[in-house]
Amino acid sequence: MSGELEQLIEQQIETWTGVAPPSDVARAWAEQLAAVIDGFEALRGTLAFEEEPSGFEAALQATKE
Amino acid sequence: MQHAFPPNPLHMTLVEAAEAVRSGEVTAVALTKASIDAFKTKDAAVNSLISLDEAAALEAAEGLDRLRDAGRLLGPLHGVPLAHKDMYYRAGKPCTAGSKIRADFVPSYTSTALHRLEAAGSITVGMLNMAEFAQNPTGHNAHYGDCHNPWGLDYCTGGSSSGSGAAVAARFVFGALGSDTGGSIRLPAAMCGVTGIKGTQTRVSRYGAMPLSFSADNVGPLARTARDCARLMGAIAGHDPMDPTSAREPVPDYEAALDGNIKGMRIGVPTTYFFDGADDEIVAAVEKAVSLLKEAGAEIIELPLPHMDAVSTYGSIVSRCESAAIHGEWMRKRAADYAVHLSGRIYGGMAVPAAYYIEALSRRGPILKAFGREVFDKVDAFVAPTLRMPVPTLAETDIDRRGAPAISSFNAISNNTRAINYLGLPSVSAPCGFDRNGLPIGLMIQGRPFAEARILKIADVYQRMTDWHERRPEAAA
Repeated sequence: MSGELEQLIEQQIETWTGVAPPSDVARAWAEQLAAVIDGFEALRGTLAFEEEPSGFEAALQATKE
Repeated sequence: MQHAFPPNPLHMTLVEAAEAVRSGEVTAVALTKASIDAFKTKDAAVNSLISLDEAAALEAAEGLDRLRDAGRLLGPLHGVPLAHKDMYYRAGKPCTAGSKIRADFVPSYTSTALHRLEAAGSITVGMLNMAEFAQNPTGHNAHYGDCHNPWGLDYCTGGSSSGSGAAVAARFVFGALGSDTGGSIRLPAAMCGVTGIKGTQTRVSRYGAMPLSFSADNVGPLARTARDCARLMGAIAGHDPMDPTSAREPVPDYEAALDGNIKGMRIGVPTTYFFDGADDEIVAAVEKAVSLLKEAGAEIIELPLPHMDAVSTYGSIVSRCESAAIHGEWMRKRAADYAVHLSGRIYGGMAVPAAYYIEALSRRGPILKAFGREVFDKVDAFVAPTLRMPVPTLAETDIDRRGAPAISSFNAISNNTRAINYLGLPSVSAPCGFDRNGLPIGLMIQGRPFAEARILKIADVYQRMTDWHERRPEAAA
């Protein structure tokens, strides 16, 4: 992750939650979000307009034993 | 059930112990004293225990023996001593969640799972070590000491239900509650060589269980055998008015389903994701297990699983976001009271945009339906390694001491289990061999939603053909 993105993430967390990085390990965990961002980029366009979280309970019933 | 009564009663399975109490071969007091003695004399090296409740356990056992003498049994667990992950609330008793922050927390109500197990006749002898707030897959604990694998004390137990896996493997107790949000029942089951089941999401009430992730938390048991787990699941599964999210689906007789017959059952072996980069020894052990299931009459079908990139990406953030919300206040005020690895993990979750989190939850149903069409219309269950790597050591996965370089091995442990939590499927891990270091290997079996009986049946058939689950580590009682 670039230093710029690392700074952005720290600023975002500080701004929204009031939490500063508690350790270098925390910064390293945050750096791993770059891979998560890549993962979401690869999935763009797959979410349908009508989908919503409550569809999961219906899917459990629809696919059950 | 006929069985030879062993010199050490703790060497019985849970079901054998319950039958021995029922038949009068042994008393609840004798079993409870044996369990307490095992914790007192053998646990120092393993460190599976957080608190022992000797007086209450013996009082309960005496009461159960009096009932039995009067010809009355409370239920299928009558007189069986258990111990549980220290995250199940009991009114008036401390519940640490393996944390410093909640070291003095005393709940005002009792969890449904504990209540149901005790209503079925079990005795709670103590509360077990666990990852802090149920959030690591290794068994490290900075506050109560790391839990050590009875098969090799330098190795991870798996987590987060570390004490549950270790105490059952070491024969300190016949069974234990764990919890599973990303693998926390199945990983310690696999790494400690015992059997553990996570039911379908919503199958077991979470009332009175410490929350980690509203969307992915599961309550479930670890025990020696699939049959033991069937008995424990039978006691705890089912709708609970105190947990409105718990399923209203009827609970079948899980034990009755264990008829030893899987002839014609279609068992899938994934050609995508679950074996990616897996260690050769692990692959060989799972392949051998599959060949035995085929020998038992199952039809083996190799098949790709759909949307695994999405399952992996989405599954990696759900519990982190929910945990970040739950722990936000303590992260602001008491961050230094968390272990370094835990405050770091929670911190990362705080940066994920809400839109991503909601996208991850919104895709869960459609992806599960795709699994229904593309997987479960073709197979009745599918198998995979519980973890792709040999059991790691505590040292190599110790983020608090090694820092960031340990994060990747720490994360890789739960690649296979976490995906199943995202899908909400029932999943059981059973021992299927030992690696080059003498540590156990786990076979993970998944079925459709609410197919707990089917996956337990497959595990039971496998255990009828093998003896991995009967082996005892040197550190055992």
